[in-house]
Parts: sequence; C-alpha cells; structure tokens
Amino acid sequence: MEIDRLDGRTPNQLRPLACTHNVLNRAHGSASWCQGDTKVLAAVYGPKAGTKKNENPEKACIEVIWKPKTGQSGKTEREYEMILKRTLQSICILTLNPNTTTSVIIQVVNDDGALLPCAINAACAALVDAGIPLKHLAVAICCCLAESGYVILDPSKLEEQKMKAFVYLVFPNSVLSNLPEGQLTVQGEPMEHGIITSVTQGAMPVDDYLHCLERGRAATAKMSAFLRKSLQPKLPID
Amino acid sequence: MAGATPTTYSPSPTTRKTKSLIFRNDDVDWVRTDGRDFHQCRPAFFKIGAVNAAAGSAYAEFGNTKVIVSVFGPRESKKAMLYSDIGRLNCNVSYTTFATPVRGQGSDHKEFSSMLHKALEGAIILETFPKTTVDVFALVLESGGSDLPVVISCASLALADAGIMMYDLVASVSVSCLGKNLVIDPVLEEESYQDGSLMLTCMPSRYEVTQLTITGEWSTPKLNEGMQICLDACAKLATIMRECLKGPDSALEE
Amino acid sequence: MGLPDSSGGLLSELDVDAFRRLFPLRFYESHLAKSTRPDGRPLDKARDTSSALGAVASADGSALVKIGSTTMLAAIKMEVMTPSQESPDEGCIAIEFHMPPICSPIVRPGRPAEAAPVVSKQLSDTILSSGMINLKELSLISGKAAWMVYLDIYCLDADGALFDAALLSAVAAFSHLQIPVVSMNDEGKVVVMSEENEGGKEPVNKEKRKLTLCSIPFSLTCILYKNYILADPTAEEESIMETLVTVVLDSSGQLVSLYKPGGSVLAYTSAIQDCVALTRQRVRELQTILDEATAGMEVD
Repeated sequence: MEIDRLDGRTPNQLRPLACTHNVLNRAHGSASWCQGDTKVLAAVYGPKAGTKKNENPEKACIEVIWKPKTGQSGKTEREYEMILKRTLQSICILTLNPNTTTSVIIQVVNDDGALLPCAINAACAALVDAGIPLKHLAVAICCCLAESGYVILDPSKLEEQKMKAFVYLVFPNSVLSNLPEGQLTVQGEPMEHGIITSVTQGAMPVDDYLHCLERGRAATAKMSAFLRKSLQPKLPID
Repeated sequence: MAGATPTTYSPSPTTRKTKSLIFRNDDVDWVRTDGRDFHQCRPAFFKIGAVNAAAGSAYAEFGNTKVIVSVFGPRESKKAMLYSDIGRLNCNVSYTTFATPVRGQGSDHKEFSSMLHKALEGAIILETFPKTTVDVFALVLESGGSDLPVVISCASLALADAGIMMYDLVASVSVSCLGKNLVIDPVLEEESYQDGSLMLTCMPSRYEVTQLTITGEWSTPKLNEGMQICLDACAKLATIMRECLKGPDSALEE
Repeated sequence: MGLPDSSGGLLSELDVDAFRRLFPLRFYESHLAKSTRPDGRPLDKARDTSSALGAVASADGSALVKIGSTTMLAAIKMEVMTPSQESPDEGCIAIEFHMPPICSPIVRPGRPAEAAPVVSKQLSDTILSSGMINLKELSLISGKAAWMVYLDIYCLDADGALFDAALLSAVAAFSHLQIPVVSMNDEGKVVVMSEENEGGKEPVNKEKRKLTLCSIPFSLTCILYKNYILADPTAEEESIMETLVTVVLDSSGQLVSLYKPGGSVLAYTSAIQDCVALTRQRVRELQTILDEATAGMEVD
C-alpha cells in the first residue's frame, strides 16, 4: 500500500517550509511563504477608514485581492478571494476597529500544488506582521486521496493532478495555555480540532474524508510549531 | 478545462436567406403562421408577485414571449447624484442567453432600456418620492416577437404591485407593416419581414399616448389606421391588466 | 430564554417586525431555544421544493426549480465545436451562473454580484468531480466535431441556498436534455436534420438522444450557529449567522464536496457527521422529486 512519491517523501511528510517577514517596505505588513516550490507573497494594508457599501459599518471589513501569476483574474480568482476573505474574517477580531477596511493582497509567485493553503498561511503571517489583532492563527494544509484510499499530505502539482480527490483544510493553530485541560475543550474535542475552512474536489467516501481530517490535524500541529517559532522576534544575543 | 474557449457554431439551420416568403408582395389575403386574424393579439397571461425579493414584480407571457420585471424602491439614490425634489426612474432591460434562437443575440437590443424609461416616465408621479430612485429591471426569458411592448405592459403592472403612484396603467402594443397589410402583435418571423413598425404606448383611461415609435415609411392614412388599431388593442389589454391586479377573487365578488 | 433587560422598557413596546429588524440575533435565538425557526420549520427541515422540466421551449433541455422562494431557471443549448488535440473524443461543458438585477436588491446592472462567479465555479467543480456526465458521450465525429454544452442558470429570486437550487436545476436540465439529431452537410458543417431528411443524408448520431447520468450529485447547505445546525437557510438567516457548510453527496453516498468557506464557528467532527446525515436524508427527498418530474414529462 506504500505509494512512492516522486520526490521521495513519505506520505506524511511536508515539503520544506520557509517564511520571511517584512519583505515589502511600503506595506503595513507583509510575508512570503514557501512550501517546496509553491511560493506566495502576501501584503496587508490597513486598517483604513471606511467600509464598502454593502458591508456592516459596526464591524471591521476585510478585502482580499488575488493576483494570479499570469493572465487575467477570472472565476477561480474570485472564488479564492471569497474563501480567503471568509477565513480571515473568522480569525480577526472584527469588533475592535469598526468602520475600517483592511486590504490583503495575495500575489502568486509560483504554483506547484497546494496553492490555496500556502496563500492562507502567507496571509496569516502578513496579518501578524502588520499588527492586526487576531483571535488565533490559521494553519492550512492540503491532503490528497489516492484511488486505494491512501492519504498523502502536501502534494506537488503533478501529484494533485493524478490523484482522485484532494481536500484543503484550515485549522486554528494549537493552543499553548496555562489554563487547566478541561477548559479548552468543546464537545469533548480540543479547540484546534475544529475546521475553519474545508474545500474539496473529486468524489470520495465519507470515511476517507474523516480520515483526511485526522491526518490534517496531526500535520497542522507541526506547522503550528514552525509558525510560532518563525513569528517570535529575534532577540539580540547579550 | 482548456484555457481559451473554443469557437463554436450552432447546428440549427440558417433559414433567412433562401426561404420563401410567407406571403407574396401583392397578396392581400393570407393567413398568419399561428392562424390569427390581422387585428388579433396573442392571448395574454399576467401574474403579479412573481419575485419575493422585490418590492413589486410581474410575469407576462404573450405566446412565446416571456418576461419578468422586478421593481425595487423607492430607495436611496447613488451618492454621486445631486439632490432633486422629484424622484428618479432607473430602467434596465436584459436578455437571457437562451432567449433568442441563436445563443447570445440579446445584446443587440441595448436601446430597450432607454425606450422603457421614456415610456414609463410620463405615467409615474415622480413628485411622490423625492430624493429617491425607483429601479425597474426587466429580464426577457424567451423572445417570441414584439418584446418591448410586452416589457412595458409588464413593467407597469410591476410598478402597480410595488405601490408606486401612477397616473394610469400603461399598455403597449406594436403593429407591423407587411406588404399592404397592417398586422398587430407580430411574432419573431413576421418582424423579420416587416417593412415598417409602429409601437404605441398609452394610458388607456386617460386616452393619452406616452410614447410612439415608428420605423419605415408610413403614409398619413396608414399612420392613422395603425394608431387607431393600437389604441383599441391597448384599451382591451388594460382591462386584462386590471383584472389581474384585482386578483383571482374579483370574479367571484361580482 | 430570558432576554437581557438593559433596554427592557423598549423591548416590551416594540412590535415583532421592528424587533426582528433591530435585534435579529436575539429574535432568532429565542426561536432556536424552542427548536424552531420564524417560518415554523423545525431545525432540520428544508423548504418546499418543486421542479418543472421543459420550461424554456427554445432550449435543448431546461428546468425551473423552486426551493421555498429561491427560484432558478436552467437552460442548455448545444453547439458544435472542434475537439482539442489532447482529447479528440471528448466534448465540453461550459457552466455559467447569472444573477440578473431582478433577483435581489443587492445586485445592480453593470456591477455583477459577488456571489455569481463563486457559485459558477463551485457548480462547475461539483459537476465535473461527481463524474455525472461522461464527456465521451458528447463526441460526434472523432477529431472533427463534438458537442459544446452551454448550461446557463439564471437566478430569478434569491432567498438563500443559492447553490442547492442551482445544482438541482442543473441536474434536472441535464436529465431533460434531448440531443438533436444532426448530420454533415456538403460544406463539412454539422447541421440539424429536418424531419423530411432531404437529400438522404445519414444522421451522425441517430441513437444517442439522451445523456446517461450516473452518480447524480445533490446538496444541502446548513448553517452552524453555536450548537445548532439549521438546514436550508433563507437569505435573512444567511446574513445574520454567517457560517455555512455545503455538503454534496451523490446517489451512491459518496462525498462529492464538503465546502465550508471560513466562518466564525468551527466545525467539529460531530457537527460534520450531523450535516452529512441531514444531507443523506435530503438526497432521498430530492431523488423522489426529480423522478416524479421526469416521469411527469415522459407521460406527455
């Protein structure tokens, strides 16, 4: 049942992650996130005054602009913008700065599979860099399902196209807290097991989807640790 | 899916160029394709309250021509518009891609929006809603000929359903000149052969005309004849519209 | 559920409609506490659904679907194209979802609704993922001509659960679709054959007049709010409680899509399993409705 992946990774192994902060001078916050060859640049401007016409002025508003690597923006880009906007709205504390707009601009530098999760991770890191108040971070992962029901994580573009189905999952990052164990569980599950966003493509049995969820959760624990480490400010060595 | 959309063509046979005419030039006595009299309109079906999300709406079906009109308002004008002590009317007519026999030909009728505006603005009492705008949006689901008159009649029903104050209901009918005959309420095929057309929009109870559109060459007696035919038809259409507004129980009350 | 009474005096004077507009969340919470909704439905019941096939006479296949007040009109027009080099035996499907200005006060002419391209792409992805249509059935002459299916769905009235209604209308339109009989004419173009069969041309596709549909997808949108799961939301519910989950199952029980675009409420495994169970129930209901509509057409 073992599947040989083209780059020799094990099914549960993620591609090398790299995150850089403050790459753009003019933006209020910016970050670039790489997962293997997929690279996305995110910039955050805001909060700026005023909300758009149909939005609720009692809350802050988030606007997302997605720029593809080549070609014009089409329906795919509009869909990604909507998913990203709703994901970020659920992690930001919207009541703190009412009647303002925060713009998040995503620029795809290279697409080698798992583009949407990479963009979500980049956007999160950029929001932290800009100092926007957040409830928690969002960690995104892509799981692929092979014909035999085998789950592999973080596929490259070739693997994504060959597989029967894939799932993009976004979880809140794991919580380090001083509170006792019981306080942070909801319905018997720890808070970081809840899904913020899920987008699937391709048909799969329901049990396989639940299987993907478990694998995804395990992987996001590792990504949370990486994110936490990279966001810590570098202290000068005395 | 492939990046560039491939060019496609419709497999339906193109008929216009070589098909024989439905009548010859000197014929005075010929039968229309659906068997109607020259001065007989298609049976009309109206229904109000078709769209829940709108303040007022109406659906009209005249043979194969099916139209839905929604009215929103009076609502806030755009911030760019200056203050005005009378209301504003904003009209838009659009076609679905499957309304015409060949896909995508609906964009040939961009002038319908402004013609609808001119037909309705004479009938609406704009002073009753200052500073605000009433939006009238029409969608032609299927085009079977004589589209704009059906849109106008349907729009005035939708305005009545929305409670916008008007001087009278607006009814509209068009007449086509085919050879020596004047034919009322033409279908799509008859419209393609017409030598001239006359579209009349009037307020029947007040016997006033809000819009008259003529194309082609019309001599004065023919013009008078055409207008008289239209006015009679509009009066009958207005009674049908009123019956529809009163509701299905009105027949029982009498 | 006791209402906080900081504005207690005001609350007792408001009538129901004003209270619903001013404090929508509290209005809904007081209903949810009794496991019901303002329109009287229990939490897990969808609105009345009806479908009518063949609504548009000039299209090759069409359907009109109503879920509560949400109304969708889907129509299919077939055109001929040359297939691409990589897949000379396959036709193509182009799905477009339109929200004309009549459907909702939010949409303006000239400025397309935000929801339209998103639902459009979601529909294309779902129909392709489910494998309902076999593209090889759309081929006419291998390498030279194949069918291009244009499916246009118009929203005539927008009242929540747009994706569900659109998917149902697309599926109904495909099941009503009759492929016209065509033949090659002298110029090498494909033309619809007239009944008299002038010139004795051979029809290219005499047998194939209807598409075979396997594993038809059906969907249900649910709202997650605190511990409640509300099935088939109206537009008002969608705007107040923003977390939506759309589950698409096909007739064999496979999960075609689980779509949850963000939202402040996190979905735990138990919530997901409840949503999937609700959807399974809904699939059976929708399957009966679709079968009745198809049977009604065949009797004619």
